Amino acid sequence: MNSLRTEGCTLTGALSVTMAVTDGITIIHGPDGCVHHTTSLLHALQVNHDHSFFPAILSSSLTESEIIFGGEDALAATIRNAAVRNPGIICVLSSCVSAAIGDDVQAVCASSAVPDIIVIPTGGFLGGGFSDGVKQALLALSALGRKDQGPDGTVTLIGEKNLEYEADAHHREISRLLALLGARVSLRFVRNISSEDLGSIGSGSLNILRDSSLKSLGETFRHRFGTPCITSFPVGFHDTLRFLEQAGEGLGIDPRPAVNMERKNQERLIDSFHGLKGASVSFQPLPPSTHLLAEELAERFDFRTSPRGFPAVIPDPPPVGTSGLARLLHRWRRMRLV
Amino acid sequence: MKQIALYGKGGIGKSTTSANISAALSDMGLDILQIGCDPKRDSTRMLMQGRLIPTVMDQVRERGDRSIALQDVVFTGYGGVRCVEAGGPEPGVGCAGRGIIATFQILERLGALKGDVIVYDVLGDVVCGGFAMPMREGYAQEIYLVTSGELMSLYAANNICKAIKRLSGRSRGICRLAGVIGNGKNLEAEEDLISLFADRIGSSLIQFVPRSPVVQRAELNKKTVIEYDPGSSQAAVYRQLAAKIMENTRLDIPEPMEMEDLESLAYEFITN
Repeated sequence: MNSLRTEGCTLTGALSVTMAVTDGITIIHGPDGCVHHTTSLLHALQVNHDHSFFPAILSSSLTESEIIFGGEDALAATIRNAAVRNPGIICVLSSCVSAAIGDDVQAVCASSAVPDIIVIPTGGFLGGGFSDGVKQALLALSALGRKDQGPDGTVTLIGEKNLEYEADAHHREISRLLALLGARVSLRFVRNISSEDLGSIGSGSLNILRDSSLKSLGETFRHRFGTPCITSFPVGFHDTLRFLEQAGEGLGIDPRPAVNMERKNQERLIDSFHGLKGASVSFQPLPPSTHLLAEELAERFDFRTSPRGFPAVIPDPPPVGTSGLARLLHRWRRMRLV
Repeated sequence: MKQIALYGKGGIGKSTTSANISAALSDMGLDILQIGCDPKRDSTRMLMQGRLIPTVMDQVRERGDRSIALQDVVFTGYGGVRCVEAGGPEPGVGCAGRGIIATFQILERLGALKGDVIVYDVLGDVVCGGFAMPMREGYAQEIYLVTSGELMSLYAANNICKAIKRLSGRSRGICRLAGVIGNGKNLEAEEDLISLFADRIGSSLIQFVPRSPVVQRAELNKKTVIEYDPGSSQAAVYRQLAAKIMENTRLDIPEPMEMEDLESLAYEFITN
């Protein structure tokens, strides 16, 4: 059976979030193979992104003996081992094996006398996938949030895709757009932040979700902290302007000056790629998330679609904001010249 | 070497029956190994004069599976019967089924699975793959169902038929249903009901063991009936059962009954 990118292992999804707490330790309660498999994947992606950050991950190293007699003692020992390193937070992720034999992870953590410990149920066989793991980890870590209002014009980004190559470029673009409104990103929940920062999840004036798959999480945070939210990063020219309007509305800021500035920016960008106008294009098989963007670009640049046209690839997930489109158009121009 | 496994509902008398079969077979001069496949570890107690022997899983827990020797897990009881208890985790933790699988691997490695007859006494019902282990991988070829005439006991026996049928269909599946052993609970027309049930699933009633106070007396004296009162009619029944098992060549792939049919069968006997 084929597996979509957003499916796969719940454990890996949760780990992609917890490893981004810079002073945290993640314990995977399972056999060493679960740790090896997931961290190898994350490590390979980090290296591919020219990062050399090695997250602190421990395994409870379940073997056949623990499967038969229960793995709770092994988990308790691993928690003690983690605690002596004085991490800001310990995240405990269950695995298929520990879930199947019925280890009571919550009870072991509760009796461990370690104060900052978060349990995230991630037994993959229970039916969840990678994105469910991401959501569960974000939800679990939000339990540390305080309901205190920060300064006006502060924004929290929720659920950035930590394994995405362009995650930081997307962050820069959102920050640029917010700056047009006089606002700023005050918290990246969760990307390269400390355990102390996790408590600020309820402090922003507005939450911006990475994509609409996190909508339920946005609703939960709205209910819990009273924070309004935008359900995804903007994709395409029109959506970027709409994003500014939504952000202005959410922050109580008149968005019109920012929208006008960005519209001019987009017009300049389109002019600078006038050489692409009227080009013959063959859109490569498009994932559903990119259909609207392809239509918009075809209209803006008067593309003629033809099977013999230059192969125009739109990545999935699609580029964010006007800057993302600029990178995409540069790539297309290079390909066309080649 | 003959390998038999006794399956049935919890509390139906599998261990009592197994121990008495082993004792009777040893009296016939045969070399017997009885393996209790139940975490509650009391299969071989009557063969060991009431002693609860250390289990394979106890040894694994204390010293790890690599340093276990044959004498740590195999104990000699009545008539030279070699007794093994698989054991398992404390109730409510871990995976007892995996413990059974590990036990078989250890016993195989130690060369313990030998003799004229191996008797596997298996926990109440086939609760997971681990408890089907005696039926798999070429261990017990002959499965005996132990049941009374009570509906739930028949229901459990019928469920085990489903496992036998499934496993017998596999390429390495050699297990077959060898017969039904009726263990009486003093119900009316009980032997007839069990016999009819056996027919319906495509097998036969090997032996009906009537309820007898001598069984309780023997257990209070920490002995099998064969040892405690060899001259009793109950001991004769067990000896007869052991002899029939040795002679039995009928091996069937059972056809489990539908639940409604099973209920109708039981109801018919209750109302008549």
